[in-house]
Amino acid sequence: MNLKTEDTRPATPEDQELARKLEDQAALEIDLADRELRSANLRAELAAFERQYLHFVGSRYAELDEWKAQLAERMVSEQPGNQRARQAAREARARADETKNVAGEKSEHEPPSFQASPELKRLYRDVARRIHPDLTSDRDDRARRQLLMADANQAYELGDEMRLEKILTAYEHSPEAFHGEGPGAELIRAIRRVSQVRGRLAEIEAELQGLLRSDLHQLKMRVDDAEKSGHNVLQDMIAKVDEQIELAKERLNKPGPPPR
Amino acid sequence: MTETAEKFPANQLARISTQTQALAVRSAALVSRGLRDLARDSNWLIKKVFAGRSSQLVVSPAGEVCTLSPLVRHGTERIALYDLERGVPTLALVVAGEPDVCPVGLPAAFAWSPSARHLVAAWGGWLPELHMFDLHGKVFLGGFGDFKSFPANLTWSDSGKYFAAASRGRGEARLRLWPADQPASAAMPFAADAAAELRAPSSAENWIGPGTDETESASESGFGGFGRLAFNPAETILAVVAEIDGDWADDSIVLLEVPGFGRRTVIRAQGRITDLAWTPDNRQLIYCSGGQAYRVSAQTRESEPLPFGAELCAVHPHLPMALCFSSLLKNSAKGRLFLAELNRLAVFDEYAAEGVVNIRWSLDGSRAYAVTTDGLAYIYEPAIL
Repeated sequence: MNLKTEDTRPATPEDQELARKLEDQAALEIDLADRELRSANLRAELAAFERQYLHFVGSRYAELDEWKAQLAERMVSEQPGNQRARQAAREARARADETKNVAGEKSEHEPPSFQASPELKRLYRDVARRIHPDLTSDRDDRARRQLLMADANQAYELGDEMRLEKILTAYEHSPEAFHGEGPGAELIRAIRRVSQVRGRLAEIEAELQGLLRSDLHQLKMRVDDAEKSGHNVLQDMIAKVDEQIELAKERLNKPGPPPR
Repeated sequence: MTETAEKFPANQLARISTQTQALAVRSAALVSRGLRDLARDSNWLIKKVFAGRSSQLVVSPAGEVCTLSPLVRHGTERIALYDLERGVPTLALVVAGEPDVCPVGLPAAFAWSPSARHLVAAWGGWLPELHMFDLHGKVFLGGFGDFKSFPANLTWSDSGKYFAAASRGRGEARLRLWPADQPASAAMPFAADAAAELRAPSSAENWIGPGTDETESASESGFGGFGRLAFNPAETILAVVAEIDGDWADDSIVLLEVPGFGRRTVIRAQGRITDLAWTPDNRQLIYCSGGQAYRVSAQTRESEPLPFGAELCAVHPHLPMALCFSSLLKNSAKGRLFLAELNRLAVFDEYAAEGVVNIRWSLDGSRAYAVTTDGLAYIYEPAIL
């Protein structure tokens, strides 16, 4: 006969505290995953918008600055002794190089805007809840999770569901996913995790505020709002830079003053 | 797991996790440039810099303005710097021992160094001398050059090699010049004592110009003091206005050899001279008198009116072009800011503006600034310069 014994001893204060901390942790994990998703979403949207901006407008600024640099260089050739003109030409050339570098090479195809499917969002949330570096108190595990989280952020930005799935599965089956050293150690870990998560939540909030205040976001809002009423702000910007390019070309094609 | 970790070595971690943010930072200048371009319908950008009114202000080549603070607090004024682009105060200039309360409306004069690192200031609330500030270090470096009458006009030469200060006060009027020849280790760019000084004309030597009685002293000739100053870009000549008292008096421009003030040439103008500036090739001096713009050839000293009126003018640092302000728009009581092409004498990029008291080009000439008494900044940002 097998006697089943039930542990009827009252829970120790450590157990009670651990249960409370695990509850806190679970609630914070959900909040953290949601906010990481919101932050990743905003970053991905802004990155996609930035690529579009650089593709359409940035490339034109690069062209404009190239014309301006050529104009400044022509002025130097017309007034070789003018030190200020020489300095201005050097600065114009440096600016043109910098703009070209930032705008990058114009790709053949228009960069797509960012659209996350509900499945992608769910996957990202799961990944964040499971492998977020702030949800472990083990140093080595944290380092691994940081790498995976960075990988997950990139996969999310690219809309790569398969990669997200793979990251999650790989971690679930890794030995680092399992722990168990008794309630005392678990309680300490839980306290540390709660503190880490709270710290990360504050960081995410600061990151989000920074992104929301950025010129890039202001511009994106403007573009999105105008789009609702059928207006294309990027097109307006392109037209303005094109106008300046034409002006620069015209001026460069005009003969300079006769030598004195 | 190991495979993934190996795929992203530790040194790549930061790069990946901050990738999107880094990209946003990299493109920030290009994005804000696009936003600015989008916001304006001309080459002029208008910003509100300060509330209230202040007529004593000077713009820096880096887009800041030093002004007697228009916000009078506890019955006293203070000297403050504002960023024109952002429209925010950046610094209040305080000198140890300055009184807690100073009457409002005391005279003030400022001059920015070409790099906008140093600022020389004089104010009625301080000791009667010039005060040098290092704005990078945010420190008051010290005083120099005491004047009996207030030094209302201050200027640096283009490279910062010389500094000049001029005062009115008839017989007490002085024009002084300091060369920046201090050792690099010295905090102050100038020695305490001026290297050259020009005093008010005396009865023994009345050099104001033709048409005045050689035997007249400063007071008898109506000499009111030294006015605006401008070094030529080559830093070999200092042009200074000799102001003549009286509502209908004609001021003169005195061209002085730098650094010794050895040779003097006097050019008689018509009316009160309100501004003067050299062209970048050192060949012409543009000046405004009686609301009209003129130019003088540095070689022949001949003066001719330009086909536009102006009270303020600032010549571009390397192009034959000037930013001008005139308080009278043709057929209207309104004023205007405009650009003048000095070779073809053509006016372009006009913009209605009133109450402009100071104008200036940025060091690289890519933009120009004008500030009004009621704290409006007009920033000229041409597409092609």
